[in-house]
Amino acid sequence: MVEPNYPGAVAPERERTFESVGVRLHALEWGDPAATPMVMCHGMWDHARSFAVLAPLLAERFCVIALDARGHGDSTWAAAYTWPADVHDIVCVLRALGRPAHLVGHSKGGGQATDAASVAPDRVRQVVNIDGFGPPPFPIGESPLPPMRDFLDARRRMTQRNAWRPYASLDALVERRRHQNPRLSREWLRYFIFHGAHEGHDGWRWKHDPHMGHGFGPWRPEWIGPGYAALRAPMLAIVGSENDTWGPLPEAVLAERLAHVKRLERCTIAGAGHFVHNEKPVETARAMLDFLEP
Amino acid sequence: MRLTHGRLTLELHEIAAGRSGHQALLLLHPLYGSSAYWSEAPVTWPGGVYALDFSGHGCSDWLQGGAYYAELLAADADAALAHIGRAAVVGAGLGAYVALLLAGSRAELVTATLLVPGAGLSGAGPAPEFTAPRLPIDHPLPHESKGAHDPMVRVLDREVRPPEYVEPFARAANRLLLIDDQGPRPPWWQAARRSPRAESAPADLSVAWERLAAISP
Repeated sequence: MVEPNYPGAVAPERERTFESVGVRLHALEWGDPAATPMVMCHGMWDHARSFAVLAPLLAERFCVIALDARGHGDSTWAAAYTWPADVHDIVCVLRALGRPAHLVGHSKGGGQATDAASVAPDRVRQVVNIDGFGPPPFPIGESPLPPMRDFLDARRRMTQRNAWRPYASLDALVERRRHQNPRLSREWLRYFIFHGAHEGHDGWRWKHDPHMGHGFGPWRPEWIGPGYAALRAPMLAIVGSENDTWGPLPEAVLAERLAHVKRLERCTIAGAGHFVHNEKPVETARAMLDFLEP
Repeated sequence: MRLTHGRLTLELHEIAAGRSGHQALLLLHPLYGSSAYWSEAPVTWPGGVYALDFSGHGCSDWLQGGAYYAELLAADADAALAHIGRAAVVGAGLGAYVALLLAGSRAELVTATLLVPGAGLSGAGPAPEFTAPRLPIDHPLPHESKGAHDPMVRVLDREVRPPEYVEPFARAANRLLLIDDQGPRPPWWQAARRSPRAESAPADLSVAWERLAAISP
């Protein structure tokens, strides 16, 4: 099948790989390799092409490196997934670059980019977090037992299921994802999922690992705000104005969390939902270029 | 015997076959340990006795990518329960914390649990350190790369173990025995000890073992 087109999406100029404790991380690159590096981290179930429209708009000034997180896109599947392991992967990329970089992340990738900047302050210049400020607070009194049982049941089932079922066509995957994220256009999803799925003899399968998404433990959303206090780098916090499947947080919750950030700029992009950089790439790029040092 | 857990294979050692009609016993070793830890223990048990090597330890697979966490080790132990059925569980150190998670979430399979102090008992304490964050995962030093366990398993000792997280597991467990030798114990242990399902066990392991057999139906 021929690669679908999408207006503004530019093919990456280079591909490269990084290594993190035996996991091979795949990345796409746009811009002059000698320019200031900018590392981009996508959200859950996404991949590096999430930035295929935004990255070219920034590539005149920066060397933009968009990662496939472990278990996503063309990076390898791991035996297990945790937040700290993903953060460690980002730090490994920063170490391999060898010079301070800007860190950009969307959704889960925004939270992890922020944490990477906190634990590796000398390797990060500025942070752009696109609607990656965590889930709302858990309901009061919620027991960890049902999710733990679900987790154990899922781990038992995993042993039998090591691959996704095939879908009849690329469009079937597009409809599946649109069901989750109805604000994303079919045209965008056809381009995006073409790069996030394989076509086999029996149909189309997601590239990402079916064993992800069952992480579980004592972590609480109340820890997000206090965690921001350790961030030394300036942060641009971007959200969209529109309610969407995974965001934005209620303003009071968001403001309480962001109050812990020492050097904060905020920006709300009108008319965008959770996927701000996909829905309003030009406006997102403009806000970033205003904020970022060269 | 080899067990499958997701993409991992784990080693479950059958230490004693036991007499039929008696309940099985599952042994969970401390951090950096293996089933060999129990060779010194005074295991007296009428049923089958099994010792698991957690992922990253002993003869079990290492986790490519280093994403170890206590709940994943509980799923290792759950794979053992899937094989041996209802059992009493004994855990030492990190294995005690994992045993408690399992006792609360698989109460239909874990009849009684004995918690023993040992390596990896405290983890990173009861709450995260917000002001000086540290990446729990780091590359192993070259001299650490050979040994009986994956050097990355040390991330398990950098996980927080909040008492309020542990309490629902302790309340849901059937019977809990906690070794009380007056030694220092982390807040999660104290929370488990306060559960109405919990009682102290003497520091003499062979006596504790007999008590476990007595309360395990």
